[in-house]
Amino acid sequence: MNTALKNIRRTPFQALAAVFVVSITLFVVGIFSLVTLASSTILLNFETKPQIIAYLKDGHTTDQVAGLISNLTSTQGVKNAVYISKQDALEIYKKSVGNDPILLGTVTDWGIVTADILPASVEITASDPKSFSTIASILEKTEIVSQTPQGKKEIDFPQDVITELTKWTNAIRTAGLVLIIALTMVCVLTIVIIISMRISSRRIEISTLKLLGAQNFYIIKPYITESIIYGLVGALFGWIFCYITLLYSTPFLAPRLGGIISFPVRFEIVLMLLVALLIFGFILSFISSLFAAARFVKRAK
Amino acid sequence: MIDFSHVTKSFPNGDVVLDDINFSVSPGEFVIITGKSGAGKTTLGRLLIRDLLPSKGKVVIDGEDLNKTKTKNIPLIRRKIGFIFQDYKIILDKTVGENIALALEIGGYSGKKIREKTSRLLEMVGIPGKEYLFPGQLSGGEVQRAAIARAIACDPPILFADEPTGNLDKETSIEIFKLLQKINSDGTTVIMATHDVTLIGLNPDRNIHLEKGKIVSDADGKPPKSETKKASSYSVIPAKAGIHKINSTETKRKIKSS
Repeated sequence: MNTALKNIRRTPFQALAAVFVVSITLFVVGIFSLVTLASSTILLNFETKPQIIAYLKDGHTTDQVAGLISNLTSTQGVKNAVYISKQDALEIYKKSVGNDPILLGTVTDWGIVTADILPASVEITASDPKSFSTIASILEKTEIVSQTPQGKKEIDFPQDVITELTKWTNAIRTAGLVLIIALTMVCVLTIVIIISMRISSRRIEISTLKLLGAQNFYIIKPYITESIIYGLVGALFGWIFCYITLLYSTPFLAPRLGGIISFPVRFEIVLMLLVALLIFGFILSFISSLFAAARFVKRAK
Repeated sequence: MIDFSHVTKSFPNGDVVLDDINFSVSPGEFVIITGKSGAGKTTLGRLLIRDLLPSKGKVVIDGEDLNKTKTKNIPLIRRKIGFIFQDYKIILDKTVGENIALALEIGGYSGKKIREKTSRLLEMVGIPGKEYLFPGQLSGGEVQRAAIARAIACDPPILFADEPTGNLDKETSIEIFKLLQKINSDGTTVIMATHDVTLIGLNPDRNIHLEKGKIVSDADGKPPKSETKKASSYSVIPAKAGIHKINSTETKRKIKSS
């Protein structure tokens, strides 16, 4: 450890370059991990929501609803079908507005939004998207499903949103992965170059140690330690940058994703990110230095 | 303990540095290997620590044939042999204490034991209290003493000194030589390669003389019983150095084949 710290002190700019590159790489890794986590949460949110909602006419009877639900659930590919009454719809609305005092006031204080103005509905979850067309045809034929003034049945198919979202999420993930791979390679090469330079400048010392009977691991230990210090310090800085970015973006993201992701992001998640980045930084620096050191030590007699 | 058997070492450029060398060294011996520069003394040492492999023949240490030693076991062989290098190979940006501590760490010592042993070693080699000085702050003789301390740090059974007095004045050379004799008297087998013929007379034990990669004499340093000059006598030591000429017929030993 002392030798490693001494090496770092002696060449502060090389050390700075290594830490900087590792920090940037792990910052990007951290940000894309958070984006991936968020997009998965958003997708899950959409996927677990009823995929099809059929709004019902006022004045439907319980028997008519029971008949529709029975018809739907007996259809292949339908996971379940749930009746949402007007009162249930009001509760869902209240839940969705969260703590927004104005929107909540429309229900509780001013009585603008009441159960009467909200339609009852049947929410259907399909286990297989292929069953959507069958479900749609059943709903089209059902009397109690309400219609628009143009005569079109009022049925929501959020699947389109999911498909679009999945497409974007995959695109972001792919771009992130490509960027992470590129930055990781830059990071590995930077550490390899720095450690190789360090070892090269101490060639005579290394050959002396070998002649004194040192095992290879004893010789490369300080260089690996040095590299791991770069990896861990870089991971710490990368995490700090991530956390600052997250804190600064919270006021922007909270109103847009508030219903899906809870803001501010729980500190446990941020801590888990730190642990993950430290592990990634450790592995990255360990492998890079091992590669550089093993190559040179093998050459030295 | 050490056995060189029909050892030949040639390099890719065609130079034959050692040519069919045969000799054995018993435990506790003090052997001086003499010869001009390029005679093969250093190569002999490098073969001993398995820094080189012989082109022909074999080098055996404590029954282990170095040709067959696995790469991972080379460090273990080297720990059996304290090596004093011609150019000291002292790490200049480490203090004397740190240099010795390196050898001790390699030998498996740690913490307090390293500090204690370093002090003892420095005292033994005659430079007590110099552990915190850098090699650049020491004289040539003191650096060589530090190198000796490092070489014997882990109490190796064999010590190979490659031109240990090469860069030193006569007085310091004799002091270093006496130090090596003291180490030998403690039971360490010492092999010293030198071209400094003035030291040969100080060694009563055994001198091996190399010329162009061949052993031309292997004799003890004691005064010969007969001063009779024969044509076959080797005159490897100048008379003016005050050292007896060696009669090969009386003192030649352990040369397995000519």
